[in-house]
Amino acid sequence: MMHAHLNRRSFLTTTAAGLSLNGWLGRLAAAAPAGQRPKSCILLWMAGGPSHIDTFDPKPEAPADIRGEFQAIETSVPGIHISEHFPRFAKLMQHAAILRGMSTLESDHKLATYHLHTGYQNRAGAVSFPSLGAIVAKELGKRDVALPNFITIGRGPQEALTSGFLGPDQQPLTVNDPIRGLDFIEPAGEAEKFSRQIELLQGFDAAFHARYQNPAGETHHTSINRAVRLMNSQQKEAFNLSKEPESIREMYGPPPAAATRPAPGVKITSGGERPGSFGQGCLMARRLVEAGVPFVEVVMGDGVGWDTHRDNFPRVRALSLECDAAMSALVTDLKSRGLLDSTLVVWMGEFGRTPQCTGGGRNHWSRAWSSVLIGGGIRGGQVVGRTDRDGAAVVERPISVPDFLGTVCTVLGVDYKRKNRPPGVPRPVPIVDTSKEIKLLTEVL
Amino acid sequence: MIFTCHRPVFRAALRRLIQTFIAFALLAGAAGVCRAGQADAAELAKLIDQQVEARLKSEGVRAAELADDAEFVRRVHLDLHGTVPTLEQAKRFLADATPDKRARLVDSLLADARYGQHLADLWQGYLISPLADDQTKRAERLRGWLAEQFNTKPWDQIATALLTATGKMEDNPAVTYLIEGRLPRAVPDLTDLTSRYLLGVRLNCAQCHDHPFVKWKQEEFWGMAAFFTQIQTPKRAKQVYEKGVVDDPSLTLATLRDAAAIDGFMPRPPTFLGGQALTADAKATPHRVALAQWLTAPENPWFARATVNRTWWRLMGRGIVQPVDDMHEANAPSHPQLLDLLTRRFTESGFDLKFLTRAIVSSRAYQRTSRPAESGEAADKQAALFGRMAIKVLSAGQLYDSLETVCGPATKVTGIDARAGTRWEFTQFFGDSGDPEPTAYRRGIPHLLRQMNSGQFAGRNLDGLVARLDTAAGKSPDGTVSELFLAILSRPPSESELRQAKGYLERVGSTSNGLRELAWVLLMTSEFSLNH
Repeated sequence: MMHAHLNRRSFLTTTAAGLSLNGWLGRLAAAAPAGQRPKSCILLWMAGGPSHIDTFDPKPEAPADIRGEFQAIETSVPGIHISEHFPRFAKLMQHAAILRGMSTLESDHKLATYHLHTGYQNRAGAVSFPSLGAIVAKELGKRDVALPNFITIGRGPQEALTSGFLGPDQQPLTVNDPIRGLDFIEPAGEAEKFSRQIELLQGFDAAFHARYQNPAGETHHTSINRAVRLMNSQQKEAFNLSKEPESIREMYGPPPAAATRPAPGVKITSGGERPGSFGQGCLMARRLVEAGVPFVEVVMGDGVGWDTHRDNFPRVRALSLECDAAMSALVTDLKSRGLLDSTLVVWMGEFGRTPQCTGGGRNHWSRAWSSVLIGGGIRGGQVVGRTDRDGAAVVERPISVPDFLGTVCTVLGVDYKRKNRPPGVPRPVPIVDTSKEIKLLTEVL
Repeated sequence: MIFTCHRPVFRAALRRLIQTFIAFALLAGAAGVCRAGQADAAELAKLIDQQVEARLKSEGVRAAELADDAEFVRRVHLDLHGTVPTLEQAKRFLADATPDKRARLVDSLLADARYGQHLADLWQGYLISPLADDQTKRAERLRGWLAEQFNTKPWDQIATALLTATGKMEDNPAVTYLIEGRLPRAVPDLTDLTSRYLLGVRLNCAQCHDHPFVKWKQEEFWGMAAFFTQIQTPKRAKQVYEKGVVDDPSLTLATLRDAAAIDGFMPRPPTFLGGQALTADAKATPHRVALAQWLTAPENPWFARATVNRTWWRLMGRGIVQPVDDMHEANAPSHPQLLDLLTRRFTESGFDLKFLTRAIVSSRAYQRTSRPAESGEAADKQAALFGRMAIKVLSAGQLYDSLETVCGPATKVTGIDARAGTRWEFTQFFGDSGDPEPTAYRRGIPHLLRQMNSGQFAGRNLDGLVARLDTAAGKSPDGTVSELFLAILSRPPSESELRQAKGYLERVGSTSNGLRELAWVLLMTSEFSLNH
């Protein structure tokens, strides 16, 4: 009974299906009329914390040392202005709600990143909280599918991108570099060799399970089988961007070779992120959502990213333009494929940045900042919340982390009050911390 | 029962005299004699078995048989050194025919520096904030320091050093526990961590409200929290960088609340768990010093129990109290007398972790097989009453170190940019935050894809392994396959496994290719990922 579900020859038997990728993706999209499709979420994570004043909450009335170097431009929605370095996105404003009242508690990168992802601040606590992606994966993900329900693209904040107490089924699968594709999805050697090895493994494991009858061993084996299934699946082609027409790839941002080089002496990113990879990550996110993945997080800004303590203006300008191209392409592409209403795109970082610009840089600022919601059936074309003249404090409609995540869950059709029972924790834990009253952003719902 | 001296009395006397030069000399001289010896540990192991077996008998549950030598040698290496044994170690142990070989193996493992390194690896995971900047560097520093401590010092001294550390990280790695990022760790966090890891109680629920069904009250949380206020640095953001951790007597919960408008701070004077206030003398010393003295006093009701329970939990796969850090009246131990006994003896030994560990791993309870002879309810009951060994999952560190033992040092990971700290990156990826149950398997598709297809598990590492196997002329395929099983799983193959393996080699055609492929298969088995 212990090894009844061990599929012998699983690698061999499932490779036969010969669907072309285009056929498969096309069918999936066509089979889902707008409005009936289960919702998906793409989180565009702006690591480092973008300045709200230099992006979605410009302050033309503020003194020069606060206002900064950028102009505000009009958008497709009269009365709403954003930074001049989001010119393409400005034309899509009717699909978006800018939340200018974000007001949160943590202003250290890792602590804030954890808070914004999990909804909980409990840092040293015994409870390991799941990331938003894991929550959505559990609530909306299908059980018996080849693709994991939570996928992250780009080097993300690992400690915040965890399934926590929801366990291994909701662990994110990470694509380090979208241009390279998913690491480790192909066997190291020839497929034939891999198949016979897996076959032998099944036999050895079955004998071990018969002897020891142990759930940990079974879970290990189930995980192997699921990984092999993904290796064999057609859906893994969703990770392969070379299947996209060149025109689409270019729409999401300049291909790596042509990406604009920063001015000499200005460091845009520090880590392994290639220029242009965020755009290609957004394209991969679209492919994954098409393939039915409920949650994809695309990270922009490995290393320094939006953490512009120095060279704020040249760096925010370059990052904004790259982000603008990618995000606008994503929204346009989703729209043209009929997927925008069922796909909520969230743009946010861990906090905003100080109004004062000292020494060419802006520092961390969590008391007042902006995030953006796009698509997903929300009421777009509006701004929620308002900051003061200097962008220093929220004067209207402050939004806490639970308010924000509760709203995101509601848009996605997830009941944020539902309680999980983490193992070893003597109390049920609601998806979003309900210990203080949650004020949903009913304006956008 | 053989004791070389009456430790509690002796220790108390020493504590009073500690400031005088004479007492200092006495302590140094006595330290060697006072360490609980191997005979004491063997005695305690017998008492453990009396307790466990009396309980099994009273519940009508049969104990599983003892583990065979192969199961034992792998298990005890993983538990005490954090890695599987080398091929040579496994062969030597299996070939040894002397009756006391298990005891001698335990002695040699405890005497080896790897023992402290493994415990350090576990504890740095508990003590370092996963959210701190430059975590790798900090963890390495703390790990090195802890390894030395675990190899040479009793637990009360290690705990004291951690709690009372001062100065900069570069000079004193113990302060790492007290720092997060560029700042001192927050008061509620230090309260929570110290109570969970050093006292085995969860106070954090009481941070915001009285615990619903445990006696912990909000005042108790904040009474303990008040011991950590003096290292805070309100409005002096660079202090930890410039001076390191320093005690400032003027800082209290009330002043901190006023300085930073922190939510939910309840001003309380420092009060030990259980309600005892600071004595007048103690008020003159830094609060953390007073806390460490109270915590490590032989009469502290939590400190030794928490450590005993955690050590049992780590070695046996389940605590006598479960969850391991949630000891309170409403959460009864499964074996109360056993817990009392171990706590008393551990305290009497001078908080000697090696003594406690030696006693537990010398017991029949630890040395039983994990293979269930029964099924269904009887099997569950057998496991719950420590009548059978639990099967534990290799931690990320154990997995990495075992791969190194089997295959040699890691080669570059394919497909991942080379970054500093290969082991660090690996343990971050495969690891779990906090202290997950030792028996819970928590790896999914991402981990298994990497396990199967990255160079870290397979790749050219396996060439070295296969080359190292004794394939001298005249060796039969049977012999080579057996060596491979011994090298990876620390046991010879069963008849059926041998048959399957030989069939596989024939199918592949080339013996060296076949052995490499076979080695990969063995590294992917459930058995390799588990400590059974």
